[in-house]
Amino acid sequence: MLPYILRRFVNLIPVFIGATLLTFLIIQAAPGDFLDAKRLDPRTTPATIARIERQFGLDKPVFVQYGLWLKNFVTGNLGISFESNVPVWDLIGPKVFNSMILVFGSTFLLYFIAIPIGIYGAVRQYSLGDKTISLVSYFFLGFPSFFFALILIFGIIQLNWALNTKVFPVGGMTSEYYDTLSPIGKVLNVLWHTLAPMIALLLRSIASESRGFRAQMLEFLNQDFVRTARAKGLSERVVIYKHALRNAITPFVANIGGLLPAIFSGAGFVEVVFNWPGLTPVFLEALFSQDIYVNVSIGAITLVLLVIGNLMADFLLGAVDPRIRYY
Amino acid sequence: MKKAILATAALMLAGSAFGQTFVYPDAWSSSKPSEVKEGGVYRTSTISDYKTLNPFTAAESGNIPQVITDAGGMFAYDPSTGEYIPYMASSYTVSKDKLVWTMNLRKGMKWSDGKPIIADDFITAFKINTDEDVGANAYDGFFINDKPIKIKKIDADTIQAILPSVVADAIEVLAYSPAPTHVFGPVYAAKGAAGIKAMWTLNTPAEQIVSDGAFKFKSYKPGERAEFVANQYFGEWNKNSAGKSLPYLDGRTIAIVKDVTASLASYLNGDTDAFSPANADQLRQVKGAIDGGKLKAVLRANVGPAASSQWIVFNWNQKSNPSKQAMFRDDNFRRAMSHLTNRAAMVDLVYGGLAQPAYSSVYAAFTQWVSPDLKKFDYNVEAATALLAKAGFTKKNSDGYLVNKAGKVAEFDLTTNSGNNQREQLAKIFADEAKKAGVKVNFKPVDFNTLVTLLLSDGDDRKFDAILLGLSGGGRIYPLGDNVEPCGTNLHSFNKSGKCLAAWETQVTALFARGKQELDFKKRVAIAQQIQNVQSNYQAWDYLVSPNVHFSWTSNIKGEYPTALQTSINGPRNLETTWLQ
Repeated sequence: MLPYILRRFVNLIPVFIGATLLTFLIIQAAPGDFLDAKRLDPRTTPATIARIERQFGLDKPVFVQYGLWLKNFVTGNLGISFESNVPVWDLIGPKVFNSMILVFGSTFLLYFIAIPIGIYGAVRQYSLGDKTISLVSYFFLGFPSFFFALILIFGIIQLNWALNTKVFPVGGMTSEYYDTLSPIGKVLNVLWHTLAPMIALLLRSIASESRGFRAQMLEFLNQDFVRTARAKGLSERVVIYKHALRNAITPFVANIGGLLPAIFSGAGFVEVVFNWPGLTPVFLEALFSQDIYVNVSIGAITLVLLVIGNLMADFLLGAVDPRIRYY
Repeated sequence: MKKAILATAALMLAGSAFGQTFVYPDAWSSSKPSEVKEGGVYRTSTISDYKTLNPFTAAESGNIPQVITDAGGMFAYDPSTGEYIPYMASSYTVSKDKLVWTMNLRKGMKWSDGKPIIADDFITAFKINTDEDVGANAYDGFFINDKPIKIKKIDADTIQAILPSVVADAIEVLAYSPAPTHVFGPVYAAKGAAGIKAMWTLNTPAEQIVSDGAFKFKSYKPGERAEFVANQYFGEWNKNSAGKSLPYLDGRTIAIVKDVTASLASYLNGDTDAFSPANADQLRQVKGAIDGGKLKAVLRANVGPAASSQWIVFNWNQKSNPSKQAMFRDDNFRRAMSHLTNRAAMVDLVYGGLAQPAYSSVYAAFTQWVSPDLKKFDYNVEAATALLAKAGFTKKNSDGYLVNKAGKVAEFDLTTNSGNNQREQLAKIFADEAKKAGVKVNFKPVDFNTLVTLLLSDGDDRKFDAILLGLSGGGRIYPLGDNVEPCGTNLHSFNKSGKCLAAWETQVTALFARGKQELDFKKRVAIAQQIQNVQSNYQAWDYLVSPNVHFSWTSNIKGEYPTALQTSINGPRNLETTWLQ
């Protein structure tokens, strides 16, 4: 086991260097740099541009810049954000935590809701309930989540106007009076704010995950070993949960590897639309302004987490499926 | 103008009556000093997130240090006249050669921690701002033509600035804000630039953040909101004409939103007190909510043009394509292009009617500065055809496009940044109209950064024909671009050969330099108008339209500027004199 883990970490090194170097080169290859907006300012002099270039080391060759970044990253320094002139971690740290609330919560709820729906659909195939769920699922699958989020906001405003009170907030993570609340009140206040973005995030992913899980379950429910189990006289509960489910869940466990970086990297456009103080808006802003170190550092952290996540998923697979072993 | 005179008179009277307090002129508010109430929190939103509390490293627009020094520095902008007036200085004198400025500091000014604001605070701010290793945003301002401004303390109440050469907008630089020496001084002495850069981050406790403005920092939640409370010491030296201490508000909250839709949503939901609709759609939403009784608010639509411009520029530096170079350098060709610019259609189709045609290098928002005698080549296909004939394009080919004697078709590529819907629409309208006169315009959008690289490229042979782009920003004392108007500057985008090619360019360059040194407001305006007249005659840039700005605020927010002072430059209100009903 230990040699296996070590081997995986040694493999990480070339992957890490290759991927980050590629990210670095791609960002550098894009035309212009973060100073372009400044260059268009009628009052910024060429001398200022040169001074800022010197300040951030942008006048050095790309590979020297990459070397410096790599050295700093290994020692835990993510570099400086050009745009805001603060260390990258100071910029993204608090945002990562905020994103986690949303992503962690919605991922947990996703599996908590999608798996039972999938099992129900498989066990009661073509029943009225299954057909209804299928119809609704296809409806939500057709919606991009950010668009659904906009519709939700419209609905919330109409609802608040109609009832002349604030039933749901239209965005943000906390209320203005947040600081005056008790600790429990604070948690509830954040949860209240998560409701709408969670719904926007969940409806679509529940639809797709439960469809996938239903198909997986059906595949195993129709196999010989399930028939044998039923023939042995095992109860239907044992057949479904011990025999079919345990097999059907394998690909979902394998996916857990991707969840770790996903939890880190933000909930996507829903954060922008619902004005959630998460990582996605920061990342997008950095992309637009070509704030290199913010982009490369977020990419690099995601990469390391992906490798660790996959490693964890491999072990979990071993736990779920005794046939899988690691040498 | 009458109001302005009254305001100045009130200022002088009040100045003698209250000794060293700064009295906010009644002309800056639509409320009478007797009707105001105190208390309450004013809530707004902003699009860009805050990144630091450090006044030296903050770079984003509307940053927290700017919010807490909102009232002004040594000088403050007077929205009623467009000039700077002494603010932290009680008075000032300028030497005969206009190079030595002596400012006498107002007495009794205090920081939010109760310590007095002293001459050393201005010296500290100057020293740190001009330390190259700090990399402050204000760094450039303290240099005139690469030569430094010198600022020194004469005595406890007097600061002297020595300019390397005469410039009118020096007052914008000298309007800088002080830095608390008792906070920054020891750190700067001990650890230098690195020590300063590490101070006042977003994690610094609010008690340590010292303010000289009406509000002081209270708290910040990353990506959510920043809160400010009234600075009680501000009221000791800032009063209204009835002697009441400012600000009236208890505090203000600025929510951080990620896009204008979220900003609109929070306004409609009653979470913020003010919103500036950015386009026709948002304006309709706000109006609908007000008309439907859902939102009790004031809507000021079409306040005036925004302080930005959209233009088409033609490349004069095309050595490898002499016929195109000659075409773009032909005055009549460029005048014809201006005649083919259907500004009315642009206003209606692109901005839903909420814009104004533009003709000048000075943003239309600077109403006092825009020349009344601009040469306008308004939409007129016949006039354009006649001018094109003068430029040598007399016949049409089998495709219906104009050709000259050498057989060259009147054709060029028009580039703008892809993804900017408004600019793409403007370019398409221009191309469609040009076709009516037989000019072939190939619309080729490119990525924004590529476009900037093209526009700013130097030399005799630049690789583009025409670019549609816009500019914003710039000074208020001399609202012409230092980097735009004179030959050889970075944004002199039609000719970047480094030298003047046309006689009128030389004339504009000389006029610009003269205006820059003119301290008299009226004379400076006259020179700026002369520059615009020359430029408009030769159509260096073909100006298109300026979108209008709109303001809206909830009905309980009072103390906005009188209607005449609400412009895109002044904004809707002065926060020091804003109050809640």
